[in-house]
Amino acid sequence: MNKELEHNFVELLKQHQNIVHKVCRLYTNNKDEHNDLFQEITIQLWRAFPKFRGDSKFSTWMYRVGLNTAITLYRKSKRRIKTYELEPLQFKLKSDEYDDTEEEQLKALYKAVHQLNDIEKALVLLYLEDKDYREISETLGITEVNARVKMNRVKTKLRTILNP
Amino acid sequence: MDELELLKKDWKNKENDYPTLSYDEIYKMIHSKSSSIVKWIFIISMIELGLGLLLALLNPNIDTKIKLPDWTTTLTYLSYPIILFFIYRFYINYKTISATDNVKKLIANIIKTRRTVKYYVLFNVVFGAIIFAVGLYLGFGNSPEVIENLNTTASSKKYLVIIATVVIATALFVGLILAIYYLLYGLLLRRLNRNYKELKKIQQ
Repeated sequence: MNKELEHNFVELLKQHQNIVHKVCRLYTNNKDEHNDLFQEITIQLWRAFPKFRGDSKFSTWMYRVGLNTAITLYRKSKRRIKTYELEPLQFKLKSDEYDDTEEEQLKALYKAVHQLNDIEKALVLLYLEDKDYREISETLGITEVNARVKMNRVKTKLRTILNP
Repeated sequence: MDELELLKKDWKNKENDYPTLSYDEIYKMIHSKSSSIVKWIFIISMIELGLGLLLALLNPNIDTKIKLPDWTTTLTYLSYPIILFFIYRFYINYKTISATDNVKKLIANIIKTRRTVKYYVLFNVVFGAIIFAVGLYLGFGNSPEVIENLNTTASSKKYLVIIATVVIATALFVGLILAIYYLLYGLLLRRLNRNYKELKKIQQ
């Protein structure tokens, strides 16, 4: 039974692993931290999996556990050495898609997003993932109205960071 | 174009650029050890709870040379159910911590669990300080050397020195424990408190 549960979980996570990578991408600054957080999220997902009833989609449930781990449970290892800053180019662009000005703008944008606090990053991630305000509010534990207000503030904050 | 819309476009374009972990790699990960903050809070709390319990059990026999008044023994016995209650509360709070709650609830539950142990430590420090102060005072008072000295040169100044010594030593004892405590949890819970404040601020 446990083996079957393990197998189902690993298969599901393998299928949806991009969600975990996306969370890691916003909350970490280098590859080591990314891997570290990925592992911690995987452990937390696995621990919570026996209680997953399927009331929500597996992906929705993953966002919640992933964000909870990144915001609350994850403890950065002090031994980790920063190896490189995460920039859009880390996930390489195909050369024909390359646009210098836009790429510069994106670099600045990713850098600005990394300067946001943990809660603001969660809002940005859910927004980028096309989640509606109901889901954003349920994931964070705030009201829908406040999620909208905060999202607008985050946009303003990003603009301020980009154009000081 | 809106900044976030531009980011979203790029975010979607890179959907397939993330590394892909194999079945075996994920399988290995689920069997690795967690280093979550809850695990650390649990370990540290268990040490605190254990130490408190140990101190409470050893307290009456710490030094038989010092004859503590009967009320301190009664106080010690009364502390046992209080300690057990704290441990029970800690267990209940710890069980409510779930990674599937919303972010705000999860942080609130972790803080609540920590708060139980904080009150437990506070209780132990206050209790310890009382026993420590009484013990120190009686230790001085029962010492033949001190008594003789006081009898011959009894002056209010001497008594003041004794009281001041007891107060300073107790304050140092309490201060040391609180300093260790705040340093440890200040660092461990800093991020958690900051995020909780931010979520509460959004709701205002």
